[in-house]
Amino acid sequence: MNVGVIVFPGSNCDRDMFHVLSDVFHMTPQYCWHDKPLPENLDAVVLPGGFSYGDRLRAGVIAAHSPIIQDVKKIAEKGIPILGVCNGFQILVESGLLPGVLLKNDSLNFMCEWTNLTVENNKTPFTNKFELNEKIPIPIANGDGRYFVDDETLKQLERKNQIVFKYDQVVNGSSNQIAGVCNEDGNVVGMMPHPERAAEPEINPHDNKPSSLIFESLLKKIGANN
Amino acid sequence: MSLEPHELEELKLKIGRDPTSTELQIVAAEWSEHCSYKSSKKHLKILPMDGPLVINEKGYDSGVLDVGDGYVVTAHIESHNHPSAVEPYGGAATGVGGVIRDILSAGTRPIALLDGLRFGDIEKDQHAKWLFKNAVKGVADYGNCLGIPTVGGEVEFDECYADYAMVDVAAIGFGKKENLIKNHAKKGDLVVLMGGATGRDGIGGSQFASDSLESENRSAVQIPDPFIEKLIIEAILEARNEKLIHAMKDLGGGGLSCAVSETADALDIGIEMDVDNVHTRESDMHSDEIMVSESQERMLIITDSVKLVKFQDICNKFRIECSVIGHVTFDNKMHVKKDGKTIANISTDVVANATLLDLPSKKPEYLENIEDKKSFPPLSDYSEVMLKLLASPNIASKIWVYGQYDHEVGIRTVVKPGYDASVLRLDNGKFLSIKIDGNPKQCYINPREGAIGCFEEACRNVVCTGAKPIGMLDHLQFGNPRDPEIFWTFLESLNGLTDFAKDFEIPCIGGKVSLYNETPKGSIKPTPVIGVIGLIDKKPLRVQKINTDDCLIMIGNTKDELGGSEYSEYIHKFIGGKCPAVDFSESKKNMNAVLELIETELIKSAHDCSKGGLAVAVSELCMTNLIGCTVSLDDVPGDKMDADKILFSESHSRYLVTFERKNLQNLEELLKKHNVSFKTIGGFGGESIRFTDNSKSLIDLSVDKAQKTWLNSLKEMVMHA
Amino acid sequence: MGDYRVHVTIENKPGISDPEGKTILNDLVLKGTHQSVSKINTAKMLKFTITENSKESAKSKVKEICDELRIYNSMVSVVTIDAFDA
Repeated sequence: MNVGVIVFPGSNCDRDMFHVLSDVFHMTPQYCWHDKPLPENLDAVVLPGGFSYGDRLRAGVIAAHSPIIQDVKKIAEKGIPILGVCNGFQILVESGLLPGVLLKNDSLNFMCEWTNLTVENNKTPFTNKFELNEKIPIPIANGDGRYFVDDETLKQLERKNQIVFKYDQVVNGSSNQIAGVCNEDGNVVGMMPHPERAAEPEINPHDNKPSSLIFESLLKKIGANN
Repeated sequence: MSLEPHELEELKLKIGRDPTSTELQIVAAEWSEHCSYKSSKKHLKILPMDGPLVINEKGYDSGVLDVGDGYVVTAHIESHNHPSAVEPYGGAATGVGGVIRDILSAGTRPIALLDGLRFGDIEKDQHAKWLFKNAVKGVADYGNCLGIPTVGGEVEFDECYADYAMVDVAAIGFGKKENLIKNHAKKGDLVVLMGGATGRDGIGGSQFASDSLESENRSAVQIPDPFIEKLIIEAILEARNEKLIHAMKDLGGGGLSCAVSETADALDIGIEMDVDNVHTRESDMHSDEIMVSESQERMLIITDSVKLVKFQDICNKFRIECSVIGHVTFDNKMHVKKDGKTIANISTDVVANATLLDLPSKKPEYLENIEDKKSFPPLSDYSEVMLKLLASPNIASKIWVYGQYDHEVGIRTVVKPGYDASVLRLDNGKFLSIKIDGNPKQCYINPREGAIGCFEEACRNVVCTGAKPIGMLDHLQFGNPRDPEIFWTFLESLNGLTDFAKDFEIPCIGGKVSLYNETPKGSIKPTPVIGVIGLIDKKPLRVQKINTDDCLIMIGNTKDELGGSEYSEYIHKFIGGKCPAVDFSESKKNMNAVLELIETELIKSAHDCSKGGLAVAVSELCMTNLIGCTVSLDDVPGDKMDADKILFSESHSRYLVTFERKNLQNLEELLKKHNVSFKTIGGFGGESIRFTDNSKSLIDLSVDKAQKTWLNSLKEMVMHA
Repeated sequence: MGDYRVHVTIENKPGISDPEGKTILNDLVLKGTHQSVSKINTAKMLKFTITENSKESAKSKVKEICDELRIYNSMVSVVTIDAFDA
């Protein structure tokens, strides 16, 4: 189960994501440096968190112009599962693969804390093992995590079941408390919270099971394909 | 930058001629207090720096500890006080950058940061508030962008820091022993400068740090660029993995002058370099400026011409500039050229070894009676005082601060900020516990006992996670050393730390001395900040939720020691009284007892008593578990004394242990075996924090109200007028 | 008395590095085919609406406000102030 972990200058959570994919869920991740073409045989791609290009100009915007994102767009069209976490979500949004925009948190400060998500769509490759409305305790760590869509786009997201996760309470002023969305085809998912930080019992002794399901869903999807 | 007249004479004598202007700049930078430690070096020798786990390598800026299985941990602490007082955001941010590069230069990956922040009275002083807010943002933005978790630290406010800023940053690194850079140089090796371009930032910075803050020195401002620092970390680690680095040093105070001279001196070589080869940000920089610029995010590497090619490839991959600025010689000279002409050619031994001073010291007069025992009239409303303390800036929850730091990145943070110490998991199944502690209020009243107290407090905190202290970092921050009274306090603190380190066999693996911390208003209080690193072989103590009917045991004696306490100073506005003193034998017994308790897995949590004394420590347990507690002051082990002293004295070596009632007997047997002073002082339940004295209710505070006050107080102070 | 718009542009002093501008130039603009761009400096603009007697006094009043409230940090930044009729 080959999973590409894309690394940009300034990505931080690539090693965390690699460790969880490899050591905890026994997939075969490989690092994909931004200025090399995406390898051919990937079963899934993850864009991890961090501060690509120092978040200069706007978080994710410079990385979104990278040639490797063109490769990502091509495989997205083929239905390959793609997950963007935090900065990865920002990059997917800036590249047009996902709708909406990520603005500064309401508090104007970086926020590192634990919160709870509700699963709104359990048909994506990353949520197929959840029950609808299942809760996920999970940490966020971001300065630009406020998801925003205008009213028209919001209606479309709701109609087409593109809202994947919602925060249980007001966290950073996101429209409708949206924490994660997917594209119309449902194979590209972006989320602000960090599942890789909650999926291991050693780090999260009380309730790592829900976050693990995100990765187990991917296993199920890729396994089914293979 | 300039030398004092007698230093200039000394230099002329040593080199047998007048120095060139470049040589003058180089020597002025390296002989400044900040780089040469001339006031303190002679005395620092007394600190024990060896131990079975300590690894010593030449030219290292950080300490190294062997943590088993072929792995090492590196640690370092630095301050950026002067720059942060002028420009808090940039000063704090570049402080983080500097200490990270020290960890990196040993060849280890930085895995954690801790920050110690001290400012003036933020309740009254708008400027102090401004400095505080921006320093926190500086640390947050830089650390978060690097992806290195800031896992701990402390925040304190005291009037002595008015118009000033104390920004201490400690960093921890981790890696394989075999990957440590063994600094060496061979014939024909090249000297490479990599990283940010050299500009006019911070010119005069290290000299500036050695002067007191008389006027806002503009050119000493340093602009942080965490993005390039992140790239430098990845590039260096890749170069290390490919074994391309012979020697490495980061550029900090004094810029190229200090990095080049110190490297040459440590490796017993000479270096010949050309300023025209230094990649600069501005085209018209004078050679002297290039030599002393303190532009950030730069590293000096020594490698050979073959490995250089691969090194340059790595720099290109990470879009970092690098320039070959010179080569290694064996004449022990620092030879600087421009346009083919020599502008400096001076013995590295002369540059790197400033004459050490033997400054006079004299016990300050104010210390004569300051520790006379002090009692206060009985309080009319203990609950009100309790709430006031919980809301006070030094005791209120610091969640507003650490909530801005990504403390989870790297997924090593097993015990997160908000407890006694943070714990990181290492790759060999072991865990590392770290804490930094300072206490200027106590150090002012008794520099020796105060400093020992900081050391013991940091040890207590790591012990509460189940860790055995294995190394210490000391950051000695004082005012003007030329003032014999201030220098006396420095020596007292140093001696205290040394005695404790020797007795407890905890080696000093690194540290810094920062002097001349003063403003026109006067000197700061003595502010030694001590970092302790602890190692946990098997499992850290994970704090469990306290439930109704759980019990509370107190270990350690509470003494009549209100000197330097938050109660004396914040409530009664009184400075003085007996400073808490550590009884070494009691301290050791108590630490060992707590460690064994943790190993039995019979306790839910261990929490030490520090600021605010017993009263605050118990309240913290209640507030974090949203459960009430009733404590009987009559049962508190220690001296028989007034209620306020039992509640608020900040005596050392005291621990609160929570556990299920069914384990009481086993715990009592174990504690008796350790021959420690202990007693069950209360039980949990209900919705109020209650303290009784002689069966009379003294404090009855709603947990909910206390918690809301404690959690929100600092944020409200900072955000609103 | 009239309403005036005053634009305050805050940017780093010349000689002080602008890492953000440098990244946008090197990693975005020059990576494309726009090789004729040689420099990008970042700046922040605050737009004030203020009632004053004249454009000149509007300008100087806003400068006063910026200095007093430390709206820009004079250690690091310079301000350019332009006033317009509202």
